[in-house]
Amino acid sequence: MSTVEKIKAAEELISNKIQKKPSIGLILGSGLGVLADEIQNAVRIPYSDIPGFPTSTVAGHKGQLVIGELEGKQVVAMQGRFHFYEGYPMDLVTLPVRVMKAIGVSSIIVTNAAGGINENYKPGDLMLIRDHINLTGANPLIGPNDDAVGVRFPDMSQAYSPKLLDLGKQAAKNIGLTVQEGVYVGNPGPSYETPAEIRMLRTLGGDAVGMSTVPEVIVARHSELQVLGISCISNMAAGILDQPLTHEEVMETTEMVKTQFLAFVKEIVKRMDGEKK
Amino acid sequence: MIEKIKQSVQFIQGKINVKPEIGLILGSGLGDLADDVTNAVKIDYRDIPHFPSSTVEGHKGQLVIGELEGKIVCAMQGRFHFYEGYSMQEVTLPVRVMNLLGCESLIVTNACGGMNEQFQPGDLMIITDHINFTGANPLIGANYDELGPRFPDMSHAYTPKLREHACKVAETLHINVQQGVYAAVSGPTYMSAAELIMLRKLGGDVVGMSTVPEVIVARHMNMNVLGISCITDMAIGETIEGITHEEVMEVASKAKPRFIKLVRSLLQEGDNQLWSI
Repeated sequence: MSTVEKIKAAEELISNKIQKKPSIGLILGSGLGVLADEIQNAVRIPYSDIPGFPTSTVAGHKGQLVIGELEGKQVVAMQGRFHFYEGYPMDLVTLPVRVMKAIGVSSIIVTNAAGGINENYKPGDLMLIRDHINLTGANPLIGPNDDAVGVRFPDMSQAYSPKLLDLGKQAAKNIGLTVQEGVYVGNPGPSYETPAEIRMLRTLGGDAVGMSTVPEVIVARHSELQVLGISCISNMAAGILDQPLTHEEVMETTEMVKTQFLAFVKEIVKRMDGEKK
Repeated sequence: MIEKIKQSVQFIQGKINVKPEIGLILGSGLGDLADDVTNAVKIDYRDIPHFPSSTVEGHKGQLVIGELEGKIVCAMQGRFHFYEGYSMQEVTLPVRVMNLLGCESLIVTNACGGMNEQFQPGDLMIITDHINFTGANPLIGANYDELGPRFPDMSHAYTPKLREHACKVAETLHINVQQGVYAAVSGPTYMSAAELIMLRKLGGDVVGMSTVPEVIVARHMNMNVLGISCITDMAIGETIEGITHEEVMEVASKAKPRFIKLVRSLLQEGDNQLWSI
């Protein structure tokens, strides 16, 4: 199946299962999938049921679309995402974003667990993504361009919607949450960075580093979706603290900040445009 | 790979009765220069065995072999880009072919974004050096010693005598040229603000999506290389506003007469020794 055929097949399957079209997409990162459990009147579709979808392989990622109502808005949440390091090609990693667009989404909130590069950060901080640096060594748009989907050379000067960034800051203020704001570096992984690599990324202007988000955001911008990005700083990146990094540590921190994260995203969704009940 | 190159070369040799000395790669908007070639043999890329075909607007897609300012040139009207989905070997195949047809020098041109704050849209820049940020290298794979060494030197990728010649000719023509480092990325997304700041910190003066693979292969085959960029837009991370391909083409089109004049004079002024190895 070509990408276009996959999108169409997935769209048909999903549309047949839901009553209302979602306008907001949520991509939930490591340990943050719990937000999907808050969605009401939810229709849950395992990725294995969706044509063209791969199945997520990482611990802490469930692997289903959850479509329903959150804070009065129709949302579609990815509980579990696909990563480049799992061996999926970039067009498969980003397929869900294409599908979200196809079923009616106009804005996405993309979340992740990330390592803190900025030494002013501490584990458990939430960071609004102001911009990104693509160091994955790849780009999901390499290949022939389908002009019906988006332009050949998409602008990335405002990859993260300034309007939604402001909205995020306001939402944080409103619930009394201090958030960071910074640049997310997208690496391919799956190895964590070395201390030398972290020093390099700091020099290059990165504040946080992770293994997701950037491909999805590139495709979202290609599809003219508005993007808000939130990183959960789950650990300080290599070389900052004298301790090895583990996935368990990431999961522990995300578990710790779960309540804040949930409150924050819900407050954001509440303030976003979107079809009300 | 060698067989493919040889078949392409033999096909072209069957159509011409001259031996080209200088290869020209004409970037976005500069293709018109090939129309000035006299006694021209034009060969559609689609007709040449193993050649891919160019998919970008503003790129025609043919080899034009003939006379320009007293030199026998082999001009590429339209080039292949990595972001179109071609392998690096396909992107650089024409350079291999040019060399085996007899070209000892390569003039490579492109449109690019200016990261150096001293530059202005419409400026021409003689490339002094490059940074390969494409995430790939056309020489990865088995090496064919008859084409070039396993580990090609890149310390003088842009031939000093040709750079000097270009600056001198520009001065005589009262064309103001910049000099600087070309940072190559894969594209097709334009750079984010954070990426532009990063590339400038790394020493890049301009950023673009071509040239570097071709220059690496040209140097692998020990060709002289002259690179000229047309700065079509300013890409300053701190102040960048959105950009479209149409805007790029517009500036390129304004700079075209100057660009063409410079290249024609370069060819006219240089003696045969200058263009030989």
